[in-house]
Amino acid sequence: MVLADLGRKIRNAIGKLGQSTVINEGELDLMLKEVCTALIESDVHIRLVKQLKDNVKKAINFEEIVGGANKRRYIQKTVFNELLKLVDPGVTPFTPTKGRRNVFMFVGLQGSGKTTTCTKMAYYYQRKGWKTCLICADTFRAGAFDQLKQNATKARIPFYGSYSEIDPVKIAAEGVEKFTQEGFEIIIVDTSGRHKQEASLFEEMLQVSNAVTPDNVVFVMDASIGQACEAQARAFSQTVDVASVIITKLDSHAKGGGALSAVAVTKSPVIFIGTGEHIDDFEIFKPKSFVQKLLGMGDIAGLVDM
Amino acid sequence: WFSMIKGLVGEKKLSAEDLNPLIEKMRENLILKNVASEPAEKICQSVVSKLEGKVVNNFSRVAQEVKTAVRESLVQLLTPKHRVDILRDVIEAKRDGRPYVIVFCGVNGVGKSTNLAKITFWLTENKHRVLIAAGDTFRAGAVEQLRTHARYLNDLHKNSVLLHEQGYGKDPAGLAAAAIKKAAEQDFDVVLVDTAGRMQDNEPLMRELAKLIRVNEPDLVLFVGEALVGNEAVDQLVKFNEALANHASPGQKPRLIDGIVLTKFDTIDDKVGAAVSMTYITGQPIVFVGCGQTYSDLRNLNVGAVVHSLLN
Ligand SMILES: Nc1nc2c(ncn2[C@@H]2O[C@H](COP(=O)(O)OP(=O)(O)OP(=O)(O)O)[C@@H](O)[C@H]2O)c(=O)[nH]1
Ligand SMILES: Nc1nc2c(ncn2[C@@H]2O[C@H](COP(=O)(O)OP(=O)(O)OP(=O)(O)O)[C@@H](O)[C@H]2O)c(=O)[nH]1
Ligand SMILES: [Mg+2]
Ligand SMILES: [Mg+2]
Repeated sequence: MVLADLGRKIRNAIGKLGQSTVINEGELDLMLKEVCTALIESDVHIRLVKQLKDNVKKAINFEEIVGGANKRRYIQKTVFNELLKLVDPGVTPFTPTKGRRNVFMFVGLQGSGKTTTCTKMAYYYQRKGWKTCLICADTFRAGAFDQLKQNATKARIPFYGSYSEIDPVKIAAEGVEKFTQEGFEIIIVDTSGRHKQEASLFEEMLQVSNAVTPDNVVFVMDASIGQACEAQARAFSQTVDVASVIITKLDSHAKGGGALSAVAVTKSPVIFIGTGEHIDDFEIFKPKSFVQKLLGMGDIAGLVDM
Repeated sequence: WFSMIKGLVGEKKLSAEDLNPLIEKMRENLILKNVASEPAEKICQSVVSKLEGKVVNNFSRVAQEVKTAVRESLVQLLTPKHRVDILRDVIEAKRDGRPYVIVFCGVNGVGKSTNLAKITFWLTENKHRVLIAAGDTFRAGAVEQLRTHARYLNDLHKNSVLLHEQGYGKDPAGLAAAAIKKAAEQDFDVVLVDTAGRMQDNEPLMRELAKLIRVNEPDLVLFVGEALVGNEAVDQLVKFNEALANHASPGQKPRLIDGIVLTKFDTIDDKVGAAVSMTYITGQPIVFVGCGQTYSDLRNLNVGAVVHSLLN
């Protein structure tokens, strides 16, 4: 599954270190190079990869660590900790509160999977007994309201939107108002796809955000994204208060490393991942068990500061 | 002593060791510009083998030599080996008394339907009548999306566009066949077939696409890929071509991807590397570049500008 290939490569590189009798700096460099190549092939932003490499090197002071076995263990631990930092910003994810309204606003680049993922999340909470609804604040994309409507209808989730109104801010505000009065607990606002190069689109996003005062702004990223992710993620989180990340399309061959840059940049945790086009192709993301799986190790607890 | 100094700093044959640090930098730069690892590596290798053993008389110019060699490789890679001239071929098909057929394919959400609409606009600007086949019978709202575009496009050019739709759940190969038949009967010049997005590892969906292409024998198969994609570009194109090859009619030359539509070019600043990754894998030209969400946001690839961005 996710990043599995990367995990194998990293385990191999670290394993090689374990076999050699003496570890010198040259060997460490070789291992780090292999780890970094694997990360780059998985689309992790090149700056983050460099940072990881520097951090590991900085943390390891050869003179100070005594003994081969200890040294090895120490190096492993340092690499693991740095990897964990990549997927886990160390922030507690937002959790909705029962009995009151919780507004989620979905934002992201064009075609990243916002509309599909909105319904998945609504469905997820609905099955857990929450009173859940959807609002289509995308008045730009052709067929956007039909898409959300068809998805919501199929999942029996109440929805709000308009064929004639062209102002997304108005629709979003009206929808949230209506559903709040009706006592809905999870209110999810879908917005148009946008990119940082078009300022008017970002301005519109800010206005929608101001109108609905979301409890959680969710940044939706496609797993196949490459080096462009970092700049986009930064721009989104500088405009609105991004607090969560969802990585979609992890049913592909993509390793999702590019999307992980969004975690580092927005300092927001990945809360769910999308693994297909169907409504239940949706999983909770837990960074710690993810890294455990990634490294293919059961006894990781003693090795990593978690 | 003069000759001694000359021996030290003067004429010298470039060795791999001399080149490595510079090549390493170059590779890093290509990756930063979003070229996938594999093509970045191949480009660097080709530059090493080109420059190794070359005699240079001014060592400080080695960096320049490397840059020039990389530029040459990139220009060569990105310059189409053959031209896809749709307007010419549409007229030729018309002379044969049949519509010209293009199939759009690619993974989910890359911009197939939107760029199909832009290309429709471009064709209608060139006085052609276009029949759009709503071949995405799976994704919610896909049919309504094209219906909306058809309405807008007809507002811009009266009666230039017709949508052939059969709702959801239908077999796209049969739908496309019906659309082509209708186009021939009603004198449409071009048929553009939209398809559902699919992941390259999804075997049933890839088989379905291959069937659509096998049965309908389109004039052009366009792969739509977004400029945002990283290393995954390589796997997508390899596997789309593989699927088309594996499910071709026995004994017939398989129809592979003929060209690329590179979308969302407006979202990536100077990280234009996906153009390199996609042409590297297919050897096929980038026929259109999508650079925005309106009908006029369609361009040709400017090889010079792309190479400039890559090397900056
Ligand atoms: N295979 C796969 N496809 C997905 C996943 N999530 C979304 N998609 C598909 O990706 C495409 C785009 O999804 P949308 O939900 O329309 O994306 P969006 O972000 O709302 O797009 P815009 O509103 O145009 O910006 C659709 O074909 C979805 O079915 C996923 O996890 N796996
Ligand atoms: N910025 C920008 N956005 C684009 C471009 N081309 C398409 N889009 C947007 O990308 C999103 C997805 O486009 P679609 O045409 O629905 O993509 P698709 O490949 O047909 O998606 P599926 O059919 O769901 O697989 C929409 O929001 C489009 O407006 C482009 O060149 N630039
Ligand atoms: Mg949407
Ligand atoms: Mg489509």
